[in-house]
Amino acid sequence: MSGNRLGDTLAVQRAEEVRRAARALLRRPLLWAGGAGSEEFRLVRQHATELRTWFERNTGWSLLVDSEVARLRRIPGRDSDPTHPARDQRTGLPFSRRRYVLACLCLAVLERAEQQIALGRLAEQIVLAAADPELAASGIEFTLADREQRTDLVAVVRLLLGWGVLAKVAGDEDAFLKSAGDALYDVDRRVLAGLLAARRGPSTVRASGRGAALFEQRLTELNAEVLPDSDELRNRALRHGLTRRLLDDPVLYLDELSEAESAYLASQRGALTRRIAEFTGLVPEVRAEGVAMVDPDDDLTDLRMPESGTDGHVALLLAEYLAGRGGTVALSVLHLQVQGWALEHAGFWRRSASAPGAETDLTEQAVERLAALGLLERTQAADGTEAVRPRSALDRYRVGETVLLEPGQQATRKATPRTTARATKNTKTTSTKGKTR
Amino acid sequence: MSDVGDPLASRSSAMEPADDEDSRYQPFAHLNATNRALYRQVMGVFVRAKQEFTVHLRPEDVHLGLPAADRPPLEAVTVALERLGKWGNLRADPDTGRVTALEDFYRARHIYQLTQPGEAVEEALAAYDEALGRRGELQAVALADITFHLRALRALAGRPEPDPVAVHLALLALVDRFSGLAENARAFMNSLQRTVDLHDADVEVFLAYKRRLIEYLERFIEDLVTRGAEIAGLLEDLGAAPEGLIGPLLRLAAEREAADAAPDAAAEALADGRQRWHGRWDGLRAWFLSVPGRSSQAKLLRSAARQAVPQLLGVVQALNERRAGRSDRSADFRELARWFAQAPDDDARHRLWRSAFGLHSARHLTIDQEALAEREADPVPASASWYDAPGVRISPQLRRSGSYERRGRARAVQDRGEAKAYLAELARKQAEQTAAARARLATRGEVRLSELDELDPAAFRLFLLLLGDALAAWRPGLDSVTATTNDGTMEIRLTRLPGAGSAEIHTFDGVLRGPDHLVEILDLAGGYEPGLPVGASTAGGGR
Repeated sequence: MSGNRLGDTLAVQRAEEVRRAARALLRRPLLWAGGAGSEEFRLVRQHATELRTWFERNTGWSLLVDSEVARLRRIPGRDSDPTHPARDQRTGLPFSRRRYVLACLCLAVLERAEQQIALGRLAEQIVLAAADPELAASGIEFTLADREQRTDLVAVVRLLLGWGVLAKVAGDEDAFLKSAGDALYDVDRRVLAGLLAARRGPSTVRASGRGAALFEQRLTELNAEVLPDSDELRNRALRHGLTRRLLDDPVLYLDELSEAESAYLASQRGALTRRIAEFTGLVPEVRAEGVAMVDPDDDLTDLRMPESGTDGHVALLLAEYLAGRGGTVALSVLHLQVQGWALEHAGFWRRSASAPGAETDLTEQAVERLAALGLLERTQAADGTEAVRPRSALDRYRVGETVLLEPGQQATRKATPRTTARATKNTKTTSTKGKTR
Repeated sequence: MSDVGDPLASRSSAMEPADDEDSRYQPFAHLNATNRALYRQVMGVFVRAKQEFTVHLRPEDVHLGLPAADRPPLEAVTVALERLGKWGNLRADPDTGRVTALEDFYRARHIYQLTQPGEAVEEALAAYDEALGRRGELQAVALADITFHLRALRALAGRPEPDPVAVHLALLALVDRFSGLAENARAFMNSLQRTVDLHDADVEVFLAYKRRLIEYLERFIEDLVTRGAEIAGLLEDLGAAPEGLIGPLLRLAAEREAADAAPDAAAEALADGRQRWHGRWDGLRAWFLSVPGRSSQAKLLRSAARQAVPQLLGVVQALNERRAGRSDRSADFRELARWFAQAPDDDARHRLWRSAFGLHSARHLTIDQEALAEREADPVPASASWYDAPGVRISPQLRRSGSYERRGRARAVQDRGEAKAYLAELARKQAEQTAAARARLATRGEVRLSELDELDPAAFRLFLLLLGDALAAWRPGLDSVTATTNDGTMEIRLTRLPGAGSAEIHTFDGVLRGPDHLVEILDLAGGYEPGLPVGASTAGGGR
């Protein structure tokens, strides 16, 4: 008997560890032994086989684990999502064109580099690599001439430091910025080798066309997988695609799916979401409009909603303002709203928020956050100005009516028995839906 | 070849009549004329003919001399010859040769030869082409020649009466070879820099020559090392200009050169000649011999050439990769860089970043535990819309202020009051104990050890401490000793009692036995008065 109980306890513990490892990989698909996530790396390594099997079967993502590095090579469920840019490690701003180019050139140089490299040497070689006629033709130039270019290079290097491709040995980047010094790095070849996640080497892609069409073709080719030619393989491809999106994206809207995907999801939804829930601890929130895997632990995400701080508060207020409103709302209207809120919450918000003109930035950031979370989409108003359109999941954040309920009293809004019960409880406990104004 | 729109061309055709005021440079006019290519070809024929010691050419000969592939009609050649004759490049002489056809006889017939200006133009152009086209070669042969001439000079310097002719010729030859070498070295350094600089490199040419270039470089470095050492040795032997072995030889050469000068300028010419030769000799030495603080040219050249090899190899590699487009990772990254550069907008780049690197975090909405529990108890049907289903709870505090006390994770502020109280209590108790022990021990006058009653553990520990201090101060021959505790709060006076028995002190832990003594213990910390609180007693101590 006690042996069984021990076995059960071990099994539970093991499942818990696998779940933590899986979540770690979803949050940070590149873990290495020496990095900040070394504890998580240990877990991943310990349960590598199980994790690899699950990811392979359900998503088609391959998991490479060796003694130093664990890398989940994630192919996105859809390639049309621009809300995951590379970001400056200090300011959090998305990378610019030149920084992206520099990052790639930097990696190309490092691929050829010895075990160590100095920032100055790296810069020299990037300058050489940037002389590629095709790059020059597209207007990218990198000569290390001014501080701006140095800043770009340092931002790229910091990104690589963050991912463990480089490890600092001596010196610092700030001195390099002022042209007053240099820095020395170790190059971690194993991390470097696993950095590119695409199945196909970009240099093998032959795409033709011009401008945007060329780009789309390249991107499609890059993500292309072998075309399934049997029912089973087709189903597997559908399963992979849907699971990828459920694992990575905040909300999966049914109206975004193809007919085959819709059909597959309709019949397999339970199995899909149950597997994910068991594996990651996410909970399915299935609604008429779509499915969201929501997180009770609130850490399997890079953007929180709700979030504290001025920006988070603006996003929350905006979400509440837009929820249930339907239709498109012009950005200018939102600007006015934010301006009002800035006055109202001046005591709580950061000081710069009430400066004239600050509402544009605040609104922009809030809209960006909500759009990235799949709660909002950008569109154009009838008069051609910029506008946003709330998506249905935004209604999770609507504000309820102010209700002061005595036990047994009926709530006014959406007076189904279920919501009544909830509302009653709400006022007693945390009064989420109570309007505070 | 068309020069339409070229102002020089129109100018040159306007000046075709040879009586232009600047007729000195007329022979260059054909360079800017419309049929430049033909003119150059024709002149080429004359230059080649001259090398073969042929002086006169008939139009037919010139015509045949042109490359067969694109040979213009004979008439065009004749016209060209006439033009060149007008510009002064060629001289036309009446052709007195026999003809076999009647029309030839009636035609104005000429034979042509290069004029002096024409020849000068050709030389100038050849020099120009050579200078521009020079790839900068290093002459390993020159090094051998220099060695040879230096050896000859060394041998001449050893003779009592060197032959001035031999000396002069050897020196001249040396200077000739050397200036050639120096010139080439300079050109070589220039071209090397150009080649290594990828921006300007002519890729095809570079790739075609890379192996030869590198082999050549390596051979040259080797030669420079071996020959350079020999040359340096010879130069050392011959010494610096006026004093060394070379001095008389240079003087001979200068004298020989000055011999041709007019008699009144002879002295001056001699001085000039000497100075010139000394300068040359110094230059040669500086080339091959390093002096402290300055490396020789040969050394600099050697290190430049040596550095160039790996640099060249790097360029070769980069070029090869760029051309071959191999799918190695480096090429992949390079290709990606191009994609990023060519992507239509920022959104496209963000999408590409996600697809290519997949380094992003998963992103999920949150649900609070309470709502989750409710849903489990009372499930929301899957057919419900988000518009109808219950939402998430937002803490009113967060809604109001934007700052977030995260639910269930309130940071526990530890209340240390209890621990502090405990510590205070402990300290109080210890102080009390010490004070009590002191009070217990203080003897108010001399007593015998044996008269001390039973001691409690605290008092006994204190007593042992005092006793230890006293015994440590004990010296042979003393009858009495006084000691103070380290903290200066107690004093013990111990006096030997000869003939006394042993004393026994009973404690909770056992019995201490020893020879009996008279003992007086004083509490220096201030009179402890029974019944007074401890705190007051210590405070009264004035510490």
